[in-house]
Amino acid sequence: MDWTTIRLLYLSELRSALRERSVLINGILIPLLLYPLMMWVMFSGILFVTARFESFASRVEIAGLPDEHRGLLERLEEDEGRIEITEIEAPPTPTAAYREEVESRLLAGELDAALIFETSVDPPGNAAVSLLSNGSSDQSQAARGRLERALSAERSVWLDRIAEQHGLEGDEWQVFEVESDNLATGRQMGQFVMGMMIPLFFVLMIANGCVYPAIDSTAGERERNTWETTSTLATRRIHVVAAKYFYVATMGLVAGALNAAAMVVSFRSFLGPLLARIGGGDGSGFAFELPLTSLPVLLLTAVLLGALIAAAMMILAAFARTFKEGQSMVTPVILLVILPVLLLNDPSMSFTPALAGIPVVNVVLLLRQAIAGNLLWLQLGITVLANAAAIAACLWLASRILRVEEIATGSFEGNLFQFLRQRGRPVGGKA
Amino acid sequence: MSTVQVEVQGLTKNFFDQSRGEINAVQEVDFECRGAEIFGLLGANGAGKTTTLRMISTVLQPTAGTARVLGHDVVSDPVEVRRNLGFYSASTALYPRLTARETLTLFARVNKYPAERTKSRVEEMIERFGLGDYAGARIEKLSSGMKQKVSIARTVVHDPPVLIFDEPTVGLDVLNALDLQKAIQELRDDGKAILFSTHIMSEAERLCDRIAIIDKGRIRACDGLGGLRAATSQHYLEDIFVHYVTGNDTTA
Repeated sequence: MDWTTIRLLYLSELRSALRERSVLINGILIPLLLYPLMMWVMFSGILFVTARFESFASRVEIAGLPDEHRGLLERLEEDEGRIEITEIEAPPTPTAAYREEVESRLLAGELDAALIFETSVDPPGNAAVSLLSNGSSDQSQAARGRLERALSAERSVWLDRIAEQHGLEGDEWQVFEVESDNLATGRQMGQFVMGMMIPLFFVLMIANGCVYPAIDSTAGERERNTWETTSTLATRRIHVVAAKYFYVATMGLVAGALNAAAMVVSFRSFLGPLLARIGGGDGSGFAFELPLTSLPVLLLTAVLLGALIAAAMMILAAFARTFKEGQSMVTPVILLVILPVLLLNDPSMSFTPALAGIPVVNVVLLLRQAIAGNLLWLQLGITVLANAAAIAACLWLASRILRVEEIATGSFEGNLFQFLRQRGRPVGGKA
Repeated sequence: MSTVQVEVQGLTKNFFDQSRGEINAVQEVDFECRGAEIFGLLGANGAGKTTTLRMISTVLQPTAGTARVLGHDVVSDPVEVRRNLGFYSASTALYPRLTARETLTLFARVNKYPAERTKSRVEEMIERFGLGDYAGARIEKLSSGMKQKVSIARTVVHDPPVLIFDEPTVGLDVLNALDLQKAIQELRDDGKAILFSTHIMSEAERLCDRIAIIDKGRIRACDGLGGLRAATSQHYLEDIFVHYVTGNDTTA
């Protein structure tokens, strides 16, 4: 191989591509900016919705509140956001007519939520409580959430007090207490979320980064009438094809690497606070940090995927005579590589040596394992070998295809599948 | 007498077309071209000129026969053929996003012009073809006249002994066409062997030292203009061409 010539042609392709707006947008700007931008939009949206809720006062009506539970009013007022409480003392025993009247006001949007206490005589403060709200209204649901939180806290305090009056300690009467505890660290939770999201966007971005260069360097050359110019260069055709292939793979690799870097930064800067907002907690539960060992694996997967997708796309694009034809021939590759990622979105799926033998699938699983910090060396080795074999097969097929004069000169009217069907028939070019 | 630079013997090209079946585009074409000579292939559209030149430039492979450039066979030694050849045609466009200087440097380097002399050679070409003010501009920004000059410069930048010009004036205005013809004559004067195809009689008359009239893939006659006149008793090349292609004497 004449590596000096390949390098010259490769650099020329790269220089040319970096002056093309579409390549810059698809291969660099979108991978770099799309996800920070997307998360910023989501973050802003959540903030907007939250602020909107907080700006509204929850209109709540409480009927028959026993004296023992006056603390509930304080709890509601201490909760975040404004609240307007209307207290109805009578009727002490609510009638069906009163309930119907409250329901009609809730449905009409005149009220956000209502609490109706039906008290018992013994012990004092004991009550059956109805919480009424309108599930079709965001504002009503927010009011319901606030009432539930305050009511739950009030109930716990009252039960403790009653138990104490009866001389009971907490664990003597709380006999069927359910306690949930998340044992995962914040870092592990962050890695789990990243493991679900990064592979999908990563594969998509690498494929997206390859699309334009693959078409531009094949069909684009024919459309611009530069293919014949390239054919007259004093080098073997395989060197020209190799340079084009390295260029397409580089663009895929760059898109993937930029996307991964942007993704990690976005997770740290936007998704943590975002999840804190959604969960209503302090957000400290999630830590989006990639383990150091995952970084070389991330790079390796970008190389493997970039090389494989570039080879597959170039095989298909080799048949295209125009940019439009190229787009229709290459687009299915994106769907083909995305499909396994979507199918593998089950977190319980384990990375077995058998799955490591399937290109694309193995890279996605390897990526997920690496993000989780569990590197499986056997699977990694099989993944590299399987993908290397697939890349070699694609390149072999590409070199066989481009040896056919009719395809090299762009006079073949058809695609890969038609070509494979026609094999064995006489081929030539056009006069 | 200069040495033979291009030898073509029995060159044949058949194509297969789904609807028309086998097409004999070029049939047993023989000719040779020497240094400091412009050898013209004169024929109507579809006569087989471009296919013949594409086989010599290794873009297409012959079905039969041989073609050699400085002794290098187009089938067995295509890289050496291309190294000794500059190929210019209407279908060999320039890379639009490279500058003129980058284009010339790329063609010089890939076509194995000595690396240490590439820079000075590129500047020499820029000077010779008057590209100085535009050498740093991208090709896509240049006028068609300037693009044509860059195209000629990239064809000769690696200083090949053999040059092929396939209908080079197609689409050019009169002044640009005359400029191009002048450049080709200068290259002939530099000692280059030039294969020149055209369907424009006046161009062939003005430029070519010898002319091969090609029709339906076969060479019907091959000689200098004087020889063709003597053989046909016709003065104008147009009449000579009609004589060989249709067998009719237009002056009768």
